[in-house]
Amino acid sequence: MSSPATNQISVKLVLLGEAAVGKSSLVLRFVSNDFEENKEPTIGAAFLTQRCTIGDKYIKFEIWDTAGQERFANLTPLYYRNAQAALVVYDITKPASFIKARHWVKELHEQASKNIIIALVGNKYDLTLDSETGEEIEGSRKVSLEEGQNLAEEENLLFFESSAKTGYNVNEMFTTIGEKIPEAIAKKDNTRDQSGGNRIDLNAPAENDIHDSSCSC
Amino acid sequence: MAERRPSGINSRRPSVIPYLAGIEKPVLPSIPSQCDVLICGTGLVESILAAALAWQGSRVLHVDANPYYGDTCATLTIEQIKAWCASVNDGSSGFQGFSKAMLHIPYPHRLNSRDYGIDLSPRVLFAKSDLLSLLINSRVYRYLEFQSLSNFHTFENDTFGKMLSTKEEIFTDQSMTLASKRQLMKMMKFVLEYDLPENKEELETHMHEPFTDYVSNRFHLSSQQINELCYALGLAPKPDISTIQGLSRVRRYLVSFNIYGNFPTLYSKYGGPGEISQGFCRSAAVAGATYKLDCALKSFDPDTKTATFEDGSKVKISEKVVCSPSQAPEGSRNVPERNYEITRLITIVEKSCKEWFAEGESAALVVFPPKSLPSNNQFPVQSIIMGSGTGCCPKDQCVWYLSTIEQGERGRRDLESALKKMEESILRESEDGGFDVELTESDVAVQANGGISVINSVKLGKSFKGFVPKEKLTYLLKLMFTQYTSVAPFGVVSNAVFEKAEENDHPGNGPDLKVIYSSMPSTEISYDGVVTEARLLYSKIVGSDDDFFDVDFEDDEDYEHGPSSESAIVDDAEEFQPEMAFEL
Repeated sequence: MSSPATNQISVKLVLLGEAAVGKSSLVLRFVSNDFEENKEPTIGAAFLTQRCTIGDKYIKFEIWDTAGQERFANLTPLYYRNAQAALVVYDITKPASFIKARHWVKELHEQASKNIIIALVGNKYDLTLDSETGEEIEGSRKVSLEEGQNLAEEENLLFFESSAKTGYNVNEMFTTIGEKIPEAIAKKDNTRDQSGGNRIDLNAPAENDIHDSSCSC
Repeated sequence: MAERRPSGINSRRPSVIPYLAGIEKPVLPSIPSQCDVLICGTGLVESILAAALAWQGSRVLHVDANPYYGDTCATLTIEQIKAWCASVNDGSSGFQGFSKAMLHIPYPHRLNSRDYGIDLSPRVLFAKSDLLSLLINSRVYRYLEFQSLSNFHTFENDTFGKMLSTKEEIFTDQSMTLASKRQLMKMMKFVLEYDLPENKEELETHMHEPFTDYVSNRFHLSSQQINELCYALGLAPKPDISTIQGLSRVRRYLVSFNIYGNFPTLYSKYGGPGEISQGFCRSAAVAGATYKLDCALKSFDPDTKTATFEDGSKVKISEKVVCSPSQAPEGSRNVPERNYEITRLITIVEKSCKEWFAEGESAALVVFPPKSLPSNNQFPVQSIIMGSGTGCCPKDQCVWYLSTIEQGERGRRDLESALKKMEESILRESEDGGFDVELTESDVAVQANGGISVINSVKLGKSFKGFVPKEKLTYLLKLMFTQYTSVAPFGVVSNAVFEKAEENDHPGNGPDLKVIYSSMPSTEISYDGVVTEARLLYSKIVGSDDDFFDVDFEDDEDYEHGPSSESAIVDDAEEFQPEMAFEL
């Protein structure tokens, strides 16, 4: 934590996608790779955090998982609130998960703020390759690259195929999102008044009077 | 068997992909067939309970009959409000506990449903309170945003005033004599010290007499000051409070000052209890609780310990079933009586109402003490004003929440009467908005009406008498309804409420035998009592509340303000804040 907090940007990133497509694995790959020895994520943490430096920007990702609430319930409005980025993940070997991804993109357009950056991620790229030869295993891929690209183009999403297992494209997707962020912050969502910004940090009583002006919220 | 493959990724390097609570559990074809505790209704009390139980290790199934979170204290969009009213009025199950909802949205309406978050039971959070401590200990505050609320206005003799509540304000006030300043300071000092040993005798002699008599006799305060103490600072919902109740409520206000800054209360942005409920639900889910909406309890059989839902699914319960009265199964017989009424009036107005807010803030409270309104109200009317900065409505609009414990038609009349006064006030206040431009015009208009100079007449706190507004206030939505609760005003939930269902052991008597009911949101407009109720329910299930949210959360690596700074917010209500002492 030697870095100065002055140009740090907090980014709330939410994860969406069918169960078992590798949402957590992607995040853990991203978070663990850059972590030192302690690979254990904080159990019971409100969300996972990961810092990274992109160019001259210092970005702190606050990564929210669904905590299973999407299974029989809607996610709470709280989940989408002020999310600046989302990963919509599917499994390129499971067509049903791609259909579900369309649903989540629609949900994001309805629930989340207008300027949210959405990345569509076709995960488990490693399953389509032969581990010996590195060549594509015939018939293993069920969602073509073009299908993913088309959806991303239609809906104006970032698009990646990735493998949490090998780390393929994992850092790239977070970095690309990070690069896009400041533009989005500049164009704030206007549907609800964002002013009146006297946000109180409940964990910082007045005696200490630490007001972190770098907080982007 | 490719489908069964568990992500397939951790076969080679399991250490890189450690277990993370709450992330990506395997898909279940249906809700679990077994759980320890079933909770029906995602209101605030039930959500705190769910999170506390989940973190303690219980397997919790938390359902709600509605398609949204929050139940009786939900934060709703306009479309959800419409549906809610229809359900209340046709008496559908799932909406017991409310009646006579009247909704008026003038046409053509310009309301974009999702731009609004309307609370069914709005509340403000004292900076020093048990819920605030719990929000910090549970880390739930990290899901939410809090903002300050400083202005507590009192309506009296047709004027709005703001209570002088800090030493500085009292000292600098021009309208008070030195003697009355001394008395007010003495009173404030006693409020902070009434439980010290040297005041024991004094307190015991007077604690059961009416608070208003006591402060009048002992400190010779004016009736206006007494009203401000009792109804604004103390937020008393009824006139006949005892000295001990009055003292403790005024103290609640005073000790909340200067904890986070120069204000006593906060509120959560985007919605009150509805938003905080969602935070606790998420916390419960992270700890492993299962959530299902649109899922109504049909019956519980205590012999087989099986709960059946309206969709026919069943779950075996090893411990208890807790249910909000609003979600009691049809034909239920064991719902505790709800003898207390709250009448609520919610309006959205086309005005920013910034005149009522302290600088940089977006919300305020206005209280109308008993007998201050033309309707000759017997009970106070309390109102919470939420401007667009609260995230509850769009720019240049404002949500007003009025409530009283007066019953039936009288209650509705009192609220309409208070609404009219608020309308007059805001029209008058906001007319000086275009002061520079319209000076001559308003000057003429007001002077013609009694020769009062325009500069004085528009100030907050002056009488409305003779004021004729040039414009009308536009109401974008108006909603009135009655809510019932089993919590007496001032009462804290009593264990007896929960015992009722337990004691009833006539087999086959209703579909809700042995179901423990919570008690519907109380009449209190602060969050006080909410944690107490959740703790009581917790003890009923676990046996004691010793380990209520006793979770050793590992702190994030970037946890800037560590637990050491938390000690400033002590959840012990008796803790005395020395810096708050009012010295003469």
